[in-house]
Amino acid sequence: MQKNLNIYRLRYMLILIHFLIVLIFSPLLLGIIGKTKAFFAGRWGAPLLQPYYDIFKLFSKGNVYSVTTTWIFQAAPLLSFVCILVSCLVLPFGGIHAPCFFWGDVLLFAGLYTLARFVMVIAALDTGSSFEGMGAAREATFSCLAECCLFLNFIVLALLSKKLILSQMVGGDLSVSWWTDGPALILVGGSYFMVLLTENARIPVDDPQTHLELTMIHEARVLDHSGWDFAFILYGSAIKLFVLGGLLVDVLLPLDHQPVLIQMGEFFVGMVILAMGIGCVESSMARLRLNRIPQLLTGSFILALVGFLVVLIRGV
Amino acid sequence: MIWLDMCLIAIVFMGVIVLGNNRLRTTIQLFAAQSFLLCLVPIMILPGFHAGILALETFVLKVVLMPLVFFWAIRHVSIRREGQPLISYGHTLLLGGVLIAGSFLISARLDLPVKISSNLLVPCAFSVIMIGFLLLVTRFKAITQIIGYLVMENGIFLFALLLLEKTPLLVEMGILLDIFVGVLIMGVIVNQINQEFGSASTVNLVNLKE
Amino acid sequence: MNFLFCSLTVLVMSILLICLSVRFKNICNALFLGSLIVASVLGLMAVFHVLISPVVEDLYLNIRMPLGEFYIGMDALSAFFLSAIIILFLISGIYGYGYLKTTEAKNLGFHYALYQFAFMAMMLVVVARNGILFLMAWEMVTLSSYFLITLHDERPEVTRAGHLFLLATHIAGFCLWLMFLIMASHSGSMNFDQMAACPFTPFLAGIIFILGLIGFGVKAGFIPLHIWLPHAHPAAPSHVSAVLSAVMIKIGIYGLMRVFCLVRDFPHWCAILLLLIGMISGVCGVLYALGQHEIKKLLAYHSIENIGIITLGLGIGLWGQIEHNSVIALIGYAGALLHVFNHAVFKGLLFLSAGSLIRSTHIGEIDRLGGLLKYLPWTGHLFLIGSLSICGLPLFNGFISEWLIFRGLFEGMFHLPMTGIILSSMGVIALVLMGGLAAACFAKAFGVMFLGNSRSIDNSLIKESPMSMCLPMAVLGVICVWIGFFPRSMVMFAFHAASVICSRPIPPEMGNVILSPLLMVIMILWVVVIITAILVFLKKKAMKVLPIQEGPTWGCGYSYMTGRMQYTASSFAESLLRVFRPVLGFKVSGVKPEGYFPKEAEVSSHVVEASEVFLFRPVFEFIKFLSGKLKRIQCGYTQLYLLYIFVFLLALLIWKMV
Repeated sequence: MQKNLNIYRLRYMLILIHFLIVLIFSPLLLGIIGKTKAFFAGRWGAPLLQPYYDIFKLFSKGNVYSVTTTWIFQAAPLLSFVCILVSCLVLPFGGIHAPCFFWGDVLLFAGLYTLARFVMVIAALDTGSSFEGMGAAREATFSCLAECCLFLNFIVLALLSKKLILSQMVGGDLSVSWWTDGPALILVGGSYFMVLLTENARIPVDDPQTHLELTMIHEARVLDHSGWDFAFILYGSAIKLFVLGGLLVDVLLPLDHQPVLIQMGEFFVGMVILAMGIGCVESSMARLRLNRIPQLLTGSFILALVGFLVVLIRGV
Repeated sequence: MIWLDMCLIAIVFMGVIVLGNNRLRTTIQLFAAQSFLLCLVPIMILPGFHAGILALETFVLKVVLMPLVFFWAIRHVSIRREGQPLISYGHTLLLGGVLIAGSFLISARLDLPVKISSNLLVPCAFSVIMIGFLLLVTRFKAITQIIGYLVMENGIFLFALLLLEKTPLLVEMGILLDIFVGVLIMGVIVNQINQEFGSASTVNLVNLKE
Repeated sequence: MNFLFCSLTVLVMSILLICLSVRFKNICNALFLGSLIVASVLGLMAVFHVLISPVVEDLYLNIRMPLGEFYIGMDALSAFFLSAIIILFLISGIYGYGYLKTTEAKNLGFHYALYQFAFMAMMLVVVARNGILFLMAWEMVTLSSYFLITLHDERPEVTRAGHLFLLATHIAGFCLWLMFLIMASHSGSMNFDQMAACPFTPFLAGIIFILGLIGFGVKAGFIPLHIWLPHAHPAAPSHVSAVLSAVMIKIGIYGLMRVFCLVRDFPHWCAILLLLIGMISGVCGVLYALGQHEIKKLLAYHSIENIGIITLGLGIGLWGQIEHNSVIALIGYAGALLHVFNHAVFKGLLFLSAGSLIRSTHIGEIDRLGGLLKYLPWTGHLFLIGSLSICGLPLFNGFISEWLIFRGLFEGMFHLPMTGIILSSMGVIALVLMGGLAAACFAKAFGVMFLGNSRSIDNSLIKESPMSMCLPMAVLGVICVWIGFFPRSMVMFAFHAASVICSRPIPPEMGNVILSPLLMVIMILWVVVIITAILVFLKKKAMKVLPIQEGPTWGCGYSYMTGRMQYTASSFAESLLRVFRPVLGFKVSGVKPEGYFPKEAEVSSHVVEASEVFLFRPVFEFIKFLSGKLKRIQCGYTQLYLLYIFVFLLALLIWKMV
């Protein structure tokens, strides 16, 4: 009984540590991306901690609500923030194991993101603004396609590890697979990177910097949010980038049989490199035309498909 | 071993990107890059003199000479982009994915008499042939068609590598020479179509049906 | 068993009594409600009895019918379907009473009687243990559904939908008769237990499978056999559509499952075919739904999508059964079964709330509504719960069953040979695509109808439906959330039923494979709830201190926003439909604005129903052509008819002699 209690305590501690890591470090990634872009543009740029200041500032502001809206508009940012935050529980960060792991946690991981997206989409429709409806429609379209690519990646990882537990499909256990199925993993990495860009509304799919353009997706959706709600949205998207990026780093840089500190260090270095990579992509590419985005996602799908086929051929 | 696999997959992928691309310059560059990777493959499979010669001739012809001819051609007829293809780019890509899947599945069933150095070689060769074929079918500009044809030839080259030890060098040389002459003639034809009709699209050839 | 028999008896009595007292409206209503509740309670007691003591009970009445006996039995599979049927009929019945109370529909008594009749027939279908009894009950369901659909038969489209339904289900009925006759002639009896004991050759099993697939598939609405479905569901009154969509089409699924119980040796291609049908039905169903702008039609297409999801589970379960892998078989079947129940609940809820909406606004076009959540709070919030469930989102019941089906497909990926890996992966991708598209579709439906501003009518005149309609819906909503958070009992029930289908006991490691992961899922969902509660609390506190302002929605600099400028359902769906245009036949037509002062412009989009236009219409045109030719034989002269008979007799004679 006592032992059981201790295990539970340990699990709660682990959950708390996971939340703290995510909450503390996630806005930093946005800061690094901003700095990288500023570097390429030849500017000094905003301070590294700017996203923290932004979120803090928003948390100390009041809200403006449209009279058209209902409670859904007020609840959606909060709920989507919580869903994104909780999704990190099944993902290992380098040496820090996931506090929750079980068969089929991948499905819950994806399901929480879908829930977060759904509530944000209906919140956008709640305002009755045509711009936000447009953003919502586009979000629904592209995320629907991106999710297929994401699952194909999961299938490849599941076939490689013969498991359906996210924390064992990625991370340390993958380092063996790299020697045998390196090509498939590279393909998955490439495909997943495109999904990452789409899901996080980065260039070339969406431009997170500008508001109120007819071509925007993510930013058009949140025009009417303010104060705490907007802070939840900003913070949520930072966490989303951190979690989904962490998954990529876990796939690309698995390290096994090393002290936890080294693994963690490696993970965080990987995250920084990832953020700088995203910054480079954003600086060097233009945003795609909207009707080209499905094409990009098709490309991502084919990457994962070839990875799948390679694994399949190997398995036979 | 793993590098060979990566190389093969990269070759397939260059083809896929060509499918989704509408800038002729990039297409040519991608073709050159694909050929460059291609010339690495024989060396990886069987390092030696024979493979070295093969790699060298591929390099000279496909990575250097042919792209130069193409660049000259597009500069000469001043076209930059493929117009609207027969099937839209997104769907061509999807079709390409289906074809790749098909060729992988078929070659998994294929029982080859020769020893294969990598079990990705045959599927990738098939896929590249399919991609080249798709390019040939869906595109209108003469240059993209030639490139489609060459991509297909790259696939056949990969296939031929199965018999690397047995093929006489002379046959290879002969094939490559044929292609080179073919490309030159195509270059001339592109030029002629352009002069005759004011654009280098093969759609114009429909007029010749009578 | 006795409970069930009592329940059936109550229903029969009530049908007779209602028919006798048609003229007296109040007696009719009282009889209907009373008997419905009594019969349902008795039926539910029968279900619980099976749950407590999993001993198969049979009832054999020596009523000689032509070719068969009145032979009914209960096992976990029957009980599972029975529970869905009873819950839905009870709730829709009460709702229907509230729904029809105010309308001046003629022959209300007969409608109630028919409703009870359909209820009884459907219960009979799932407990029948004899082929003839099954088929008779099946035809009873078909006929009573026809009359239920055509309640408002003064509208021509209703009559047409009814005829289409009757036609389609009769073709299906023909296949079923054929199937049962083959099974009976092979096993020597129409009784199910004898059929189950008899081994079938793979060839025969294949034929039985195809016939069953067509016969049951028409009822279930597999694409391309679904053409009656999107016409019949919108034509029926809402409580009937709820029953139709929630349980009537599921007895097609039940039929397939029962056939899987009886015939064991299916060849591999059967499972492949089922998986493919599941993928096509699911993806096409939801795409068509996305293209619909009429709420009940949209829901009808979503039924097809969900049948596709169920079929995916069924297919992977069948494959596991063929491969003798009981884990895959059990998970697949259990997922399919649980989704049957869940779909019954949330689709019932959605149809009922759509009915309540249409009753209040008299509009079914999504694009003409808007901003109704404030005026129809019950309907709106219950519709939201239904939408969240049907999209398979966590916290609601749809997620649990889809999770099971996903698990089944992934297990298939790990344990099946290469073809199995490919098909299960395709199944996973299809399921994900369905989930995404369904989320888009219901975001569209809910967002456009209930959120934003009104697009055409004055919302302030709209009144919420009476409590007799809202409470039944609320019960369904509660069930959705209950299964979402406490799925254990229903999952176990589904596993018991699944173990009946593949006639294998539930292996003891199933608890580890399914239940403990499920427990973790629920734990994480509770974490979501707790953190949400904490944050809501914090936000409430902060909002007391911080200033809150209200104003109009920001028009992006434009100051004369009207309701008609909002994004509509058509425009919301357009970007997705454009991506899937090659598969869909998505057509946009309209008049473009021209000049500096354009006079008028319009745009409209619709989705072409491919199987109707390209498959059935040509076939029926051809049949019409043929029957036109045959018309010449029928010229009206009696003498000629006598000649035909004579010729026919002569031909028979010659045939016998040779």
